This record gives sequence, C-alpha cells and structure tokens, in this order.
Amino acid sequence: MALRSRDAADGTDNPKDTFANKLVSLASEFSIQYLWGKRWFLIALAVGFVMNQLPLPDGLSREGMIVLSMSVMATIMFITEPIPLPSVALLIVLGQILLLEIDSSKVAKTLWNDSVLFILGSLMLAVAVVKQKLDKRIAWLIVRATGTKTKNICFGISVTSGLLASFIGEHTVAAMMLPVGITLVTLTSDDPRQVRNLAAVLLFSIAYGASIAGIGTPSGGARNAIMVGYWKEFFYDPTDPETRKFLISYVKWMTFAYPMFLLQLPIVTLILFMTFKPEYRDLSRAVVKLRAQVTSQGHMKGGDWVAITLFFMTLLGWIFASDQLGMGTIAILGATAFLVAGLVRWEDINSGVNWGVVLLYGAAISLGVEMKNTGAAQWVAESFLNLLSPIGANEGFGLWASVSVLTTVVTNTMSNGAAVAVLGPVVLKMAVVAGESPIIIGFITAVSSAFAYLTVVGTPACTIVYASGYLKTTDFLAVGWKMAVASTIIMLLAAAVYWPFLGV
Amino acid sequence: MAGDVDQEAIRERRKKRFRTLVCIDGSEDSYRGLEYAAAISGAPDSAIILLYVRPIDQGMRTGGLQVRVARENMLSWGLELPGIKYLNRGRDLLVEHGDMALSWDQKITHTDVVGDPLGDNKVEYRQTEGKTIVLKLKTAPNIATGILDQYELGPYNLIILGASGRWGGWAKSLLDPAVAEKVAIHAPCSVMVTRHLERGHGHLICTDGSDRALEMVQKAAVLIHRTEAKRVSVMSVAVDVESESDAKRYVEEAAKILEENDLVVREAFTRVGSPVETIIEAANDYSIIVMGDTGKTGLKRYFMGSVAFKVMEYAERSVMIIR
Repeated sequence: MALRSRDAADGTDNPKDTFANKLVSLASEFSIQYLWGKRWFLIALAVGFVMNQLPLPDGLSREGMIVLSMSVMATIMFITEPIPLPSVALLIVLGQILLLEIDSSKVAKTLWNDSVLFILGSLMLAVAVVKQKLDKRIAWLIVRATGTKTKNICFGISVTSGLLASFIGEHTVAAMMLPVGITLVTLTSDDPRQVRNLAAVLLFSIAYGASIAGIGTPSGGARNAIMVGYWKEFFYDPTDPETRKFLISYVKWMTFAYPMFLLQLPIVTLILFMTFKPEYRDLSRAVVKLRAQVTSQGHMKGGDWVAITLFFMTLLGWIFASDQLGMGTIAILGATAFLVAGLVRWEDINSGVNWGVVLLYGAAISLGVEMKNTGAAQWVAESFLNLLSPIGANEGFGLWASVSVLTTVVTNTMSNGAAVAVLGPVVLKMAVVAGESPIIIGFITAVSSAFAYLTVVGTPACTIVYASGYLKTTDFLAVGWKMAVASTIIMLLAAAVYWPFLGV
Repeated sequence: MAGDVDQEAIRERRKKRFRTLVCIDGSEDSYRGLEYAAAISGAPDSAIILLYVRPIDQGMRTGGLQVRVARENMLSWGLELPGIKYLNRGRDLLVEHGDMALSWDQKITHTDVVGDPLGDNKVEYRQTEGKTIVLKLKTAPNIATGILDQYELGPYNLIILGASGRWGGWAKSLLDPAVAEKVAIHAPCSVMVTRHLERGHGHLICTDGSDRALEMVQKAAVLIHRTEAKRVSVMSVAVDVESESDAKRYVEEAAKILEENDLVVREAFTRVGSPVETIIEAANDYSIIVMGDTGKTGLKRYFMGSVAFKVMEYAERSVMIIR
C-alpha cells in the first residue's frame, strides 16, 4: 500500500510522463524495493545453490550436502526473518520431499513426536494458567513473606517466578507476573521517570528469575524437550540395554539442572542491585494498596481451587508419569483438563497460542533428525573439531566451553528452541567423535541456550517484559552481560565438578 | 463504494490543511518535537496528530505465547498499556502551553486489530475554528511501518520523530532497525528528527545550489514562516577553495528566496571542507539543521548516501529534511 501511493505522488510531480513511462518506473521501483526487502531470502537461496554446486567434500554424501545446505538456509532465515518464520518450516518440509525425495507421508511422520506434542500442550496450558487470574494472590503471598523492603520483594519475586517457571515455562510466568511488577511500580509513583530503576529491578527480577529457571526441568522450555527427544532419537537402541542411560527421565534432568537454578537465584538479585539503584528502598505504600486490591477480590472460589489442583496434578504427572507416558502426553492431558473443566475458553487458547511456533519446532526437529540420518551432522561435527584442535578445544573442558559459547552466540540471534533444534544434532555428534559424554554436551547446549540475556528478543520472558514499555533496550545490555558471565561460570562448574558425580 | 468516495473527500480536505505527525515514544526528544509542532501549528488550518505505535505481537519471540495474553492480563489488573500514558502526557503538555483546551469537541474512534486486545484507538479534539489535535494509538508489525502507514491515511506536511532510543546503536538496530532512518528514507513528506532540541537558536538552512535545493529552500521558507521565529541562517559548503565563490553565489540565491518569503536572514556564510562534517560542526550553534532531500527515491536514497541522511545520523542537533 505504501508503495502504490508513493508512485502516485511521483506521477503527479511529472505530468508529462506518459503512461508507459510511469508503468516502467513503477515496475522498477516496485521490484527493487521488493527484492531489497527479501534480500536475505535470496541470499539464503544463493548460498544453498552454491553449496550444492561445490564438489562434495570427503565423507559427505550428496544427501548429506542437501540437508546441510537446507540447515544453513534455515539458519540464515531464522536469524534474519525475511519471510514469516512458519513459512521457513513449510520450506523445510517441501525441501525434504522435493530435494531429498523422501515420501511425503514419511516426512509428515517426522513432524510430530513427543517433543512437539509437549510444545503444543505446554503452550495451551500456559494460556489456561494465565487466564486463572491467580496472579494477585501470588503477589500477595510474596509480599506477605518478604515484607516491604525492595530488595526482599525482588528476591521473593525472582524465587516465585523461578519456581513456577521451572515447571511451566518462562513465558507463562512472565505473562502472569508482569502485572504484579508493574502494579508495584505504579502504586509507588505515577511518574515513570521517578521509578525507572525500581521498574528495572522489579521487571528484571521476573524476567531473569524465569529465564534461569527454564533450565531446571524438561518442562521448563521447548529446548529441553527437544534435547530429550534428540538423545532418545540419536542414541537409544531398544535392543541394547547399555543405551537406556540416554533416556533422560524427568527426575534425572532435575538432579542435573535444578541445583544450578537454585544457585543462580540469589545471584540474580545481587547483579540487579549492583546494576540499578532503585529510587525507593521500601515499598510499604504500594504493598498497602496491593492488599486493598486483593481483599476486594474476596475469598478463593471453587474454580480457583480446581485450577490449582489441576495445575499441581500436571506437575506431579510430569515428575512421576512422564517417563512412561511421555511429557507431551501429560501436557496435552493438563490442557485438556482445563478445557473440560471449563476453566478456560477455547477462543482464548486459540488467540493466545502462536500455532506457527509448533509447526516451526516440528520442522526444525525433523530437519535435525535428517541431519543425523544423512551423516551431515557427523561431517560437520568432525570438521568443527578439526578447527578446534589447534587451540586445544577439541576435547574436555575446552570443548565444553566452545560448545557453550557457540550456543550462547546462536541463541542470542534466534529463539532458543530453534537454536537447540539446529545445533543439537551437530554437538551430539561432536561429543561422539571427541569421545565425550553426549549427555554432558547435550546439557551444556540446552542450558546455554537459556543465556540469551543480552537482547530483548533473546528469551520469551525478556520479550514479554519488554512489551510493558518500562524498560529500554540498553538496560538489557547493561545487566545482561553480567548475567551471561555468571551463568556460564556456574554451568561450567557444574559440568566439571557436579555432573561427574552423577555418573555420566 | 460510498465509503471510498468519503475517504477520497476526506483526503482532499486534508490536503488543504497543514498537518503534522508527531511520533511520541515517551522520550524527552519526542516531546520537544511536539512543542515544535505546536509552534508551527498556530494557524487555525493546522492539525497535529500525536501517534504512538505499539508493535504487534511477536509470538515467535515469546516462545509461542502471544504477547496479547500478557497485555490482556495487564488490562484486567486495570493497568494501562504502554502508549496511553505517553500520549496523555503529550496532550497535557499542549494544554499547559495553551495550544489546546480539553473543552474542544471530542470524538473517540476505535478499530479492532487482530493480535492486540486494544486495537487502534483515536481521540480527536477539534476547535470550532477548525484546528484539530488527534491522539492516536496504533498497532503495527513494527514501529516504522506503523508510522509510514499512518501517512497513507492522510497526507502530512511534516513528520517529527524523537531521535533518542530510536536511532543507531548496534543493539537497537538488532531489535528494531533504526526507525527514524527508515521513516526518513521512505516518508514522502518532510521529516524532522529531534535531538536535544532547544528552541531559540534559530534554523540553519544548508544549500548546495542545485535547482532542486533552491526549490527546497522555498519550501523550507514556507514552513519556517509558520513559526514565530522569523530569523534564519543560510550556509553552503564548498568542497575546495576554488569552488567557494560558487558556494557564495548559492548562499546569496537562497538568502534572496528567504527574504522574499518575509524571513530575516541573520547570517549567510560559506565553509570549505567535507560537507557532512562541516555542516555538523557549524550546526552546533543552531537549534535545527534544515536540508533539502536530494530527490532520489527509495533504494537510491539508501545507496547514494546523501549528505542529508549522513547529517541526520551523526549530527548532535535536530535535523529537518525538506521534501
């Protein structure tokens, strides 16, 4: 629309122009503008084309090269977004059918597995939980436990956000707790300029509290579910009892990752208060008003209790039943229960979930599996290790650190689930080639993908909190790098000291 | 079809008015821009549109949960979404300066938008003589598109944006590729980017002597004439010493046009050096740098790297590109 009228304006400037001239100028301007907007799409296509024209390197099959070029193209598009992301997913499906000549029904089968069901179910569950409006009561519970000191309230918010997010995902918690943070800010002062730092510590307590918790359990984020799926797909062989250790259960994941999350909790508050000096050290004014708001809601109603029960049933289901039934099944079960009980309307779920994400993850996982099947992952892993060997990073601690850095860089440019889906096959093969434990390397990738603290788009919690309009993009940089450093150190410590005790 | 005719009639009527679009983002710079807009919109045939663009949902980035869920939750707490507060502050500023009164006729319109619980909202204040002030909250895929789409709804004479927080910086460009830059390149009308705008130091008009530049000086004169400040300065930059005499001639030509338009030329001077750096340096003594657009469109503008855009990007003062 913008284009058309700009051309019309040009036309009136030069009334002498013939119709044909106008048409030509319109066409040229249109195509240039249009192509410019799609330049990254064209660049991606060109890269893919060139890759397939090059002579095949040793150890890589023709199919492997096609899959590899598809991964490279998909990565370019994930980062630059020249076309809507779900259409990248569709292109991946089409590429597998048309370029690799795999039967379409076979490709369709690889699009759905338990990880994708989990992503679908947990998003529906997220909307259902946010719609229960229990946030005010949670806020009241927090301030009742912490008192009115700003520092304590922030820590309380981080702990609560973290504990919830470790089970139901950071986006749910961020959406639920955002009004809590903003209410505390607005009840303290109406002028946003006078509470800038206060808003920053409160909102970052929510965002980072939720972000660090996402690593805690397999249900904490799509990336974890994807990694669990990859371990099973890559290493589990039903005929070989040795490989049963690659079926990572819910509880086993928690023993690996939950202590890291707990260790990071106090550090979040510490880093936030080192970076931002809140204008108010005490929030008693806001707390008094908050109490008035909560009491006006009255007692907990029957529906509230049902919602809480369903919520905890789902958590227990994940912890105790997900190894037999699959995490995806439990997530779907939970979402269905909320719908059946009438606690959430389908319309709300329908408008609250971005279904394209489900499609995207499905396609990315399917491409990852194809990377393994064609040997492309193996080849990339070997080449990458050869690159790393001169600096001694092809094994042990050096390899861990490089995998962590690689993941952190990639995850800051795209959604962290997509980062794990793309990187997973490569790093797991790297572990095999280097003789490292694929479980440790897998954990490092899944955990590092949560370290996207630097940009607004890095993690879901950051994006949602930023949507409140109280934060600046520079705030994320100012505090994010400290978070990234602290998290990386804690993770490498865990990998070196703690995980070996667990016998991997 | 009747709707189309109406729309056409409204557009025609709007063309006759002096319309300024002020993009409010809550920054100080955007409010300084609003004050400038108020200053050039004293006449009854003028309209100021305060616009806040809220980027529509980014479900992909929020891990599949639509931002809408969070926004609805905020609304149910009785919290305002970002934007309303900023627009109201702009309105209060105008009332405070006596540029409008809350007693003016008020009209509120609302359009539903998929993906945002609030949709597009518009509050229109109209004085009996015809001066209008509009507060508009708009949802768009991204901020720059929102601003450019707003142009399509009714032609504007001038778009004003605050520079702070919206221009430059690699981190910001990752998130939201320089809104001001995008708007300045694509907008069909004059664009001003305000940066630490302090009124009272006058306009500095830069010319390169081309016919097109003189045309732009004429347009700039009409625009500046609307403000109360009638004193302006003119400068031209010569690339080397030999061409300085040409530059002198350009400045005189421009000064003549300005005087014909009832403006008082305070200074008319030439400098020798690289145009962008020289202009930026000289501009420190003025409030606003006024430059003509080179007349290239779209991509060419982008690639040819016109002096005007470089100045706009690097200057420490507000820059107005006349188009």
